[in-house]
Amino acid sequence: MPAHDAAPRALRPDLRDALNRNHDRLAQPGCWLDGRQRLDVAAEARNAWDCPLCQVRKEALSPHAVSGDHVGLGRLPAPWVDVIHRLVTDPGRLSARWYHDAMDGGMVEDEIIEVISVTVQAVVIDCFTAAIGMDRPAPPEPAPGQPARKHAAEAKTGPGWAATIAPEDAQPDFADFYDNDSHFYIRRSLTLVPGETRRLWDLLNHLYLEDPRVFELDGLERDISRAQIEFLAARASALLGCYY
Amino acid sequence: MRLRVSGDQTGNEYDLGLVMGQETAASGLPHGDLMNDFVEAICARDGPRTAKSRQAIVDALGEGAMLDAAAVVAAFNAYPRMADATGIPLEDAKEAATAELREELGLAAFNQG
Repeated sequence: MPAHDAAPRALRPDLRDALNRNHDRLAQPGCWLDGRQRLDVAAEARNAWDCPLCQVRKEALSPHAVSGDHVGLGRLPAPWVDVIHRLVTDPGRLSARWYHDAMDGGMVEDEIIEVISVTVQAVVIDCFTAAIGMDRPAPPEPAPGQPARKHAAEAKTGPGWAATIAPEDAQPDFADFYDNDSHFYIRRSLTLVPGETRRLWDLLNHLYLEDPRVFELDGLERDISRAQIEFLAARASALLGCYY
Repeated sequence: MRLRVSGDQTGNEYDLGLVMGQETAASGLPHGDLMNDFVEAICARDGPRTAKSRQAIVDALGEGAMLDAAAVVAAFNAYPRMADATGIPLEDAKEAATAELREELGLAAFNQG
């Protein structure tokens, strides 16, 4: 049975299907990580909440004021663990220094982006299942195969500190990603790895709104109003200390 | 901010201070208190509080509303992380359009740059 078909409550079919796709894709080779690595990243994301270093850092005035080693699961290199743990437990205080430290530690930038994407997906799934009172589905078995590890040469650093594919530079097989004037920086943020960003947005579009420009809910079936949706969105962002 | 836009479109007035944790009772947002309790509980990873607030939404608004609210909160545990992990700035147009609002709500405190 698909993982989220066992949800204790009747999910919207499109959301249920998106969650099930996401569940399966987690264990498949990605663009830069293989299935085993992707599962390990997700597991480490869950472990991050129990890391003593992260707990102390979260309370410190600055994350750089606290030194030490993360307590990881022992499956991933230390720089990977730092990317994951900081992203999970203290995202509001991430910096270019954190990002570049990961590269100085040996991570390829494309790997960082896919790790960020998988980590975010793990956080999202955990958040949703906890919110609705569902046990998190058991992870699937890793699928065989190797990632292509093909770098998008058209990507350039910006608008933040990560390399991204600007809408005007998108190749024909990625141009549709920016359809409907969806040029917001958030949409562009993880496009260094186009295939992975599509997977992530397939999930997010069904959790939130595929096109936030719609007038109110514009025919979408939701049991809360647009105002309630936007309040939840803004409040969650504020609680995470997100400026954007 | 889209909450303000929604208000402009529907003719409703919302006190946007509720986004920053101010009192929800007089905010103008229907069931703002229930929504706020739910999102705070989820983001705090407080299991018992989440369960209680989940049931309160189900009782008041139905299961569909609770599922939709949960989905939005989950999504907005993603977008901020994506933004913060890559350091994306506000778009120029958005920055200009929200200058007064950001000052009013004190959002600059979140700008780690």
